[in-house]
Amino acid sequence: MTSSREITFESPTFARRIKGMLGVDFYRLFHTPLFYIFLAIAAIIPAMVSAMTMMPDQNGQTMEPLYSNVWQIMAANEPLYVIRTISDYANMNMVFIFGGIMVSIFIGHDYKSGYVKQLFTTHAKKQDYMISKSLVCAFAMACMCIMYLFGGTVGGLLAGYETDVNVGSLIIAILGKIIMSLGWASLYTFLNVIFRRYFGVSVASSFFFGTGILIIGAAAIVEGINLPTSFLNIFLYGASVNANLSSEIGSLLICIVVSVAWAVIYNVAGTKLLNKCDVY
Amino acid sequence: MNAIEIRNLSKNFGPKQAVCGLDMTVPMGAIYGFIGENGSGKSTTEKMICGLIPTSGGSIKLYGKDYGDEGVRAKMGVLIEAPGCFPGLTVWNNMMLQAANLGIPNAEKEVIKILKTVRMEGAAGNKYKNCSLGMKQRVGIAMALLGNPTLLILDEPLNGLDADGMRIMREIFTDIVKDGQRSILVSSHLLGELQKVATHYGIIRHGKMIVEMTSDELDASCRTYVALQSAEMNKTKMLLGCKYSRVEQDEAGYIRVYDITTPEEIVTYLYENGICVTEIKTDKIGLEEYYIDLMKEGR
Repeated sequence: MTSSREITFESPTFARRIKGMLGVDFYRLFHTPLFYIFLAIAAIIPAMVSAMTMMPDQNGQTMEPLYSNVWQIMAANEPLYVIRTISDYANMNMVFIFGGIMVSIFIGHDYKSGYVKQLFTTHAKKQDYMISKSLVCAFAMACMCIMYLFGGTVGGLLAGYETDVNVGSLIIAILGKIIMSLGWASLYTFLNVIFRRYFGVSVASSFFFGTGILIIGAAAIVEGINLPTSFLNIFLYGASVNANLSSEIGSLLICIVVSVAWAVIYNVAGTKLLNKCDVY
Repeated sequence: MNAIEIRNLSKNFGPKQAVCGLDMTVPMGAIYGFIGENGSGKSTTEKMICGLIPTSGGSIKLYGKDYGDEGVRAKMGVLIEAPGCFPGLTVWNNMMLQAANLGIPNAEKEVIKILKTVRMEGAAGNKYKNCSLGMKQRVGIAMALLGNPTLLILDEPLNGLDADGMRIMREIFTDIVKDGQRSILVSSHLLGELQKVATHYGIIRHGKMIVEMTSDELDASCRTYVALQSAEMNKTKMLLGCKYSRVEQDEAGYIRVYDITTPEEIVTYLYENGICVTEIKTDKIGLEEYYIDLMKEGR
């Protein structure tokens, strides 16, 4: 039954493992309708909000457009942690809500199909899985941000809004939000790993955290006791809000640091969780 | 060196002990039939070997190395429950994705070869979701075969296969282990089919291994019997029951007299009691009956 020939077991390098996994994830992203549906959503919603949404004026007498400037759909004029009107809220941060749902569906398929089982049985490490999902989903969300930019711009122009803007701040705001995709994607990957057995809960949790409701609530308390709200920038939603139409280079740096830091934290936490718990 | 060596393995799900003190040895080159009732701990054991669920105690060694070793894991092929295919993609694309994951060079060539092996080359362009149950099983096996694995772990791979599919599967299993270095751990409730290919068996009950044996040992352990039919079956059964310790009527209507190899003795005895035997043969019980007997003993 036994043979004299020796079997050799070669451990695949990290680079080989991650290359294979990223290849699969990117292939899936580009070859399933999910990604394109969400890209379309990311473009259509800002176009519709920008061009068609009206709200009552301050006296509540007449209806007026939500925005006066094309670029207000991209980011707020200043970092507004507490939401007072819908226009304070409806900007590129909405991508992180759609993105969360997309990530939940994307990762949910991994579990439903048994792909994760195949993956972890062979050489793949849990850390590779977290990294690969975070990077691919961050890429998808960054693409959604670009589509949002496109849709919002077209909608705003069609509505005839002003186009005056500090171009530098606008670029920083958009770049900042695109960079924040990494942190958000890592959060959603982590949430989906936690709720891997409960698809509905993972979608709901992604939506809940994506709205930034916790930070909005925290900001209301902080403002109420006259503390500086800027420390909320250490959180994903805070840093995302901080990328606004009056941003300077410091805002971009905050986005880079916060996004990368949270990506590392969520990846480490997700890896630990997967190592400790049943994959299924 | 054994392909799988498990010692004192245990797994608890809260207060429930799914596997307790399990020992298992799968030699290199073996087709190891892993048998047990539903809920006996088969799938849990397989999942622990695959690293899908952490163990609560004990050790698992694969080819002499710890089961977490990346090198060994890279040479494992698995089919447990779902095969890990994306329903919207074609069989070909699913195979290519798995090949990419495993970093297989010349992936196209390898995929074509494996699809031919499982007789799925004509269905490569089908979307996975449109495949029949039997085809899905074959795709699952094909996925597990990618990367030339040294150890295959297959959970119920024969489910949903037609007669031809089962024959193909048996051929595949035999082909895989013929070099004596690769091993297959296969669990199935289709014991008749399993007996045609398995070289070793492990029977698990309540999370414990109760018997491990080779196919030769099983053959030696299986009881012989004489099966007969007569014109007066009830009287025959009663008469034989008086003389022999175990007499039963099987599903096909034959009366079986166990642990006896000389039909002449029975024919003579019945003839002396005025009964004419119309048909008689000697045979051995198979794995299925051996297993059922073993389970009955434990109850």
